[in-house]
Amino acid sequence: MTATKAGDSPSTAPESSANDHIQPFYLLHKASTSRNSGRKSAVARRIDLSPSKSSTSTSTNPQFDPHKAFQSVWSKIDSAIKDVLRDVNTNVFNEIHSWVRQSFLAVTSSGVPTFAEATKSFPILNHATSKQLFTGLVLIKNMEFVDDLLTFEELGLFLKSHACHVANLSSLDLSTKNGVGGCLRSLLRQFLTVTLDAADISILASWYREFGNHNSPVVIIVEDMERCSRSVLSDFILILSEWVVKIPMILIMGVTTLDAPKTVLPSHVLQQLLPSKFTLGSPAERMDAVVEAALVRWCSGFSIGHKVAVFLRNYFLNHDGTLTSFIRALKIACAQHFSIEPLSSVLGLLAEEDSEGERLLALSSGMAAQVDSNLASCLTELKRSQKCWGIVVMCLYEAGKYNKVQLLDLLCEALDPDIYNSIASDTHTRSGKGFEISSSSNHSMARQYLQKDGPISQAIEKVRDLPASSLSQLLKSWENLAVDVLEINVKVKELQPMIKLEEGKSLKQDFTDLAKRHTSRTAANIKESKTINEKAATLLANLVRDFMRPIECIPFHEIACFKDVEKLQSALIGDPRRRIQVDLLEFHEFLRCKCCSRSCNIPLQSMPDTSIMYTLAQEHGDLINLHDWFQSFKTIVTNPSSKGKRKGKQSPLPKKRKETNEHENKSESSIQARLCRAVTELQITGLIRMPSKRRPDFVQRVAFGL
Amino acid sequence: MGKEESPQIARRSTRHSSATISKNEAETKSNEPLPPTVNDLFYGEEEKPISLDDVVSSFSGRRIQIIELMRVLGPVNCPMVPLFIYGDSSTGKTSITLQIFRHLNRPFVYSSCLTCYSPRILFESTLNQLLLHRKSMANSYLSAKRCERPSDFVNFLREALISITSNLQGNSGKSGSKKFDRRASGNMIYLIFDNLERVREWDKSSTMLPFLFNLYDILKMPEVGLIFISNTSPDTYYSSMGYAEPTPICFPDYTEDDLRQIFMKNQENKKLYSSFLDVVLKPFFRITRRVDELSTAFSQLYKKYCEPLSDLGVVPNEEMKRRLFSNLQPHIAPSMNEIFKVSSQPSTDIGATKEAKRKSSSKKSGLEITDQLDLHMSTSAKYLLISAFLASRNPATLDASLFDSTGGSDSRKRKRKPSEKTLEQKEAAEQELLMKGPGTFPLERLLAIFQCITSVAEGSLEEEEQGNDGLRVQVGDNSLMSDVLLQLSSLCNANLIVKGISCPLEGSTRYRSTICEDMALKVARSLKFPLSKYLYRR
Repeated sequence: MTATKAGDSPSTAPESSANDHIQPFYLLHKASTSRNSGRKSAVARRIDLSPSKSSTSTSTNPQFDPHKAFQSVWSKIDSAIKDVLRDVNTNVFNEIHSWVRQSFLAVTSSGVPTFAEATKSFPILNHATSKQLFTGLVLIKNMEFVDDLLTFEELGLFLKSHACHVANLSSLDLSTKNGVGGCLRSLLRQFLTVTLDAADISILASWYREFGNHNSPVVIIVEDMERCSRSVLSDFILILSEWVVKIPMILIMGVTTLDAPKTVLPSHVLQQLLPSKFTLGSPAERMDAVVEAALVRWCSGFSIGHKVAVFLRNYFLNHDGTLTSFIRALKIACAQHFSIEPLSSVLGLLAEEDSEGERLLALSSGMAAQVDSNLASCLTELKRSQKCWGIVVMCLYEAGKYNKVQLLDLLCEALDPDIYNSIASDTHTRSGKGFEISSSSNHSMARQYLQKDGPISQAIEKVRDLPASSLSQLLKSWENLAVDVLEINVKVKELQPMIKLEEGKSLKQDFTDLAKRHTSRTAANIKESKTINEKAATLLANLVRDFMRPIECIPFHEIACFKDVEKLQSALIGDPRRRIQVDLLEFHEFLRCKCCSRSCNIPLQSMPDTSIMYTLAQEHGDLINLHDWFQSFKTIVTNPSSKGKRKGKQSPLPKKRKETNEHENKSESSIQARLCRAVTELQITGLIRMPSKRRPDFVQRVAFGL
Repeated sequence: MGKEESPQIARRSTRHSSATISKNEAETKSNEPLPPTVNDLFYGEEEKPISLDDVVSSFSGRRIQIIELMRVLGPVNCPMVPLFIYGDSSTGKTSITLQIFRHLNRPFVYSSCLTCYSPRILFESTLNQLLLHRKSMANSYLSAKRCERPSDFVNFLREALISITSNLQGNSGKSGSKKFDRRASGNMIYLIFDNLERVREWDKSSTMLPFLFNLYDILKMPEVGLIFISNTSPDTYYSSMGYAEPTPICFPDYTEDDLRQIFMKNQENKKLYSSFLDVVLKPFFRITRRVDELSTAFSQLYKKYCEPLSDLGVVPNEEMKRRLFSNLQPHIAPSMNEIFKVSSQPSTDIGATKEAKRKSSSKKSGLEITDQLDLHMSTSAKYLLISAFLASRNPATLDASLFDSTGGSDSRKRKRKPSEKTLEQKEAAEQELLMKGPGTFPLERLLAIFQCITSVAEGSLEEEEQGNDGLRVQVGDNSLMSDVLLQLSSLCNANLIVKGISCPLEGSTRYRSTICEDMALKVARSLKFPLSKYLYRR
C-alpha cells in the first residue's frame, strides 16, 4: 500500500482542480464548510459525546493530524473509485478499439495514396461512397455530461496506447466563436504540437505522410457532440470527409441520444457519416460499482450513517444524477467528518497501515498509553463486523441483481439501524427456544421487519424462484465473496454440494429422456429444487440476521461513521435564491448595527437602500408601480433619523421648505440615483425584472423561489 | 533557365536529410517527400494522359458538358474567359474538370473553398501551390507567404504567375529535356476554385465574391484561366457589381437512364444488378438524384437483395426476380425515409440480447424493455422536461384550467355539437400546429407549471411514504425547486429544450421543448405521472 501512499499527492491535486468547474452553489457554501472545520470550540464540545477521554492529547499528536488523516483516507477512496470506473469501461474501450482497427483497414483497403497524391490540394477521384467518414457514436446515457469528461480522456489515452493518433475536441473547440479554424487549430496542436494561426487540414495530410505516421489511424474524439455549434460541426465534418481518403480519419462522438445527430446535423452532412453505436455503462451501473468500492468494501475505514446514505441517494435520484456530484458529496462528508470528530484521525492511521487486526493492536498499544486498549479492541471489532456486513450486503446485491435491485437502495436499507434492532431483538427472544427456526416463520419474520418491497426482501424473494443454473452461479459468487470470513463461508459451502447434486440430476435427465422432457419434470423434481431455493433464501435471511449489523449499532461507530445530514445538506443544496431574499430581509444579522436593530419590519432610513426597496416591494403585488415605489422610498430616506419613530408623509415637508431650491433638487436627484442603484441590484440578484415596453412605469417581481 | 538544376539539387538535399533522419532507407524511399516541382501543377505525373474518349466514356450522360468545356478551354495557348460550372452536388463537376485537365495535360491550381475556410487560407493555399511550396516539418508548416488582404494576394499572385508562366515557356521551348517532351502544355495556367457556394457564408463574402469574379480583369494576364465550380446557379451570386459575368456551364441532374448506366458500371453480376435496379431505381429516383446518396442506399439494399442467394454469379430468371423482389420490398420504403442508419457492433449486439434475455426472464414481460427510458435523468430534470413539454404543447390560456384545481371542471361543460365549420377550423388549426411545431414559452410559465406538477406529485409521494417507511426523509420541503435553473441549463445543453433568442427589449428568453410525445410519455411513465390528463387535445 506504500505505492498508493506515494501516489497521494499527485492524485489529490487534480481532484481539487476538478472541483472548480462543477456546480456554482458549491462555491457559495465553500466558505461555510471551511468555517466549520476551523471552529475548534464546537469540536471541543463534541468530544464529550465521544466515549474516549484522550481526544485532546490525540489532536496535539502530529501523527493524528486530521488533515493528514483525511488526505490518506480520501486518497484511498478516490483511487478505489477511479480503478472501478476504469474497469467499468474496459469492455467498451476494447470494442471501440477493434472497431477503429476494422474501419482503418476498410479505409486503407482501397489503396493508400502516394505522398504526392495525398498532399495535393485536389481530391483523389474515387468511388462516390469513399468520402464517407467512419463515425462511432458513443451513447453516454446521461443527461449530464460531467461524468464522462474523464471517460473520454481515458478513451483517448487507451487508443493512444494502442498505436492510434488521437485528438480530443470538446464543444469549446467547436464553438461559433472559434469557428472551423479553431477546431482545426486544436487538432493540429494535439497532433503536431505546433500552434499555427492559419490552420489548414492540408498540413495534417503532409504531417501524416511525413515520418512513418501513416501506419496508424487518426482518431478524432468529439466529446459532447450536442453542445457543439451546429454549423461549425457540420463544416468540420464536411472538411474531414473531403480528406478522409488522404488521411484515414475516424470520428468518435459522444451523444446522449441516438437521435442527436439527426437533430443537430443537416442531411447532406449526415450523408457523409457511417455510424456505429457504442454504449457506455449507465450511471446506475457505475453508481453501483462506486458504492461497492467506496462504501461497502471496507477499504478506507470511512463510512456513512443511514440518514446520510438516504440523503445521498435522494440527492442522486432527485437532483443531480451525476456521479461526479455524488463523489464530491462523499468527499465533503469525509472532510467534515474528520474536522468534527477528533478520534476519527485514527482512521487515517488505519488506512495508511492497511492493518490486519493484530497490526492495529500492536500499533495502538505501541502508540501510547493514552489510547485505551479498549478502544483498540473496539476498533478491531468494528472492522470485523463491518467486513461481515459488507459481505452480506454484497451477497444480497448478487441475488438482487437478478431483480435489478440497485446497490444504493440496498445500502440505504442495510444501514438502517431500526430494522436491524427489531430483527435482532426478535431473534433474541426466539433464540431461547432454539436456533432452528422453520423457514416459513423466518419468512414471516423477514416480512415483518424488512420493508415489504424493500430491496433486501426483494433479493431474498428472488432467491426463492431462481432457476437452478443461476442459483448455482449465485452460490459460487457468494462463496467467492465470503472467502475471508470463515463463518459465512462454511454456511455457503454447506449448500454447494446439494446444488451440484441437483444439477447433475437434471443434466442426466436431459440426456436420458430428451423426448419426454415435459413429463420428466415431475412434481417431485420441482419440489426438490424448490427446497434448495428455499434453503438458499433461508441462508441469506440468516446471514442478514446474524451478520448484517449496521455500523450505527456498533459501539464506537462514531469514529468511522459520518452522520450529520444537516451539514452535508447545507453544503450541497445551497438554495441561493432563497438565501438572497432572506438575507435582504434580515440584513441585520450581518451588519449588527445598533441603529436598525429595533425595527423588524418597518423600513428605516439607516437601512441599506436595497433592503429598504425590497421590504417595500413586499407590500406590492406582482407589479410594482415605479412612482409609488419611489415616493415611499423617498419618504423613508428623507425622514431624519432623529424623528425616526414617526414616519409619514407630512414630516419632511416643513423642513424642506427652509432649504434652498437647489439643494432640494440635488437631494432629489441623489435619491433617484440611489433608487436606480437599488433597483439595479435587485435586478441583478434576479428578484425583479425591468419595465417592459408595454408597461413602462411598472417593474415586475419575479415571484418564484421563496 | 536554371530549371534543369534546381530539382536535382533539391532532390540531393532531401536524400541527404532522409538518410540522417531515418535509418530505414527502404521505407522512406517508397514515399519520400519529393520537393515540389512544376510538375506538381499537372494532374498525376506517372499516369499517362487519357484520351478524350476515355473521359467521355467514364462519365455517362455528360458528353455535351465535356465537349462544351473543351470548347471553352480551347486549344493550347488560347486565352479563355472565366468559366462558371454549376450543377447540383454529386453531378460530376469536379471529377470531370479534373479529368479534362488530366487529358489536356495543362497545369492548374486547385483550391476548394470548403477546405480553405477563410480568405487567408484560400489565398495562401493558392500561392503555396503556385510558388511550389509544401508545408512540412522543415518549414514548421508555415505558408510561403503570409497573405490576408485581397490586394496583397493580387500582387503575390501576379509575381508567382509571371515566374510560373516563364518557367512553362522555358520548358516548352526546351522540348528536348527528359520529362517535358510529352507535355504539350503551353503557357496557360488555370486557377480552379471549387465549392464556391461556401464563400457566401464567410464573413467577408460581400467583398470576396466580387473580388474573385473580378480577378481576371484585375490581373489582366491572358495566360490565366479562371474556373469556378459551384453547386448553386450563377443567379445566386451576381448582383451587377460591374464585372463581366463568367461563362456558365450547367451540369444538370442525371436522368434515370444515366443513373442506370452509372450504377451498372463495375458490377460483377450485371444481370442480377440490373434486375435489382429495375426494382429500386424508379422509387428512389423520385426522391433523390444524387449519386452519392443513391449509392449508399443501394449498397445496403443490394446486400439485402442478395441475401437469399447462395451463388452471387447466378443469372436470375423471372421467377427468381419475383421472389427476390418480394423479399426486398419491405425494406425499400424504410430505407427511402432513412438517411442515417446507426449500426451497432456485433459484440454489443450480443451483449444487448443477453441483457434483454435476462430482463425478460426476470420481468416476464417483453414490453418493459421498449418502454424504458434509455437516458438517465434526475427526478427534477424529468419533471422539468415534462413541464416544458406541456408548456410547448398546450396553449397558454389553458394553463389556469388545467393546473388550477378549481378551474378544471367547468372547461368540460361547454361541449357543443361541432358544426361543419368548427371542424374545418379545427383541421386548419391542426395543420397550423404541425407547421409551426412546438410553441415557445417564457421561463416563468415553465416554472409555474413545474411547481404545479411537482406539488401534485409530491402529494402523492407523501401518501406513499406513509406506508413506505422513511426512505424519503430529509428531502426538504421544496427540494425539487432548489437547483431548477441548473437543471434547465443542462437540459438545454442536452438539446432536449431549445433556448430561443432573447428579445432585446424585454430581456426575457423563450424556450421550446423539442422532444416528441413518445419520449415525454416514457419520462412520465418512469415517474408515474399522469401526463395524458394534462395534455390538451385539439
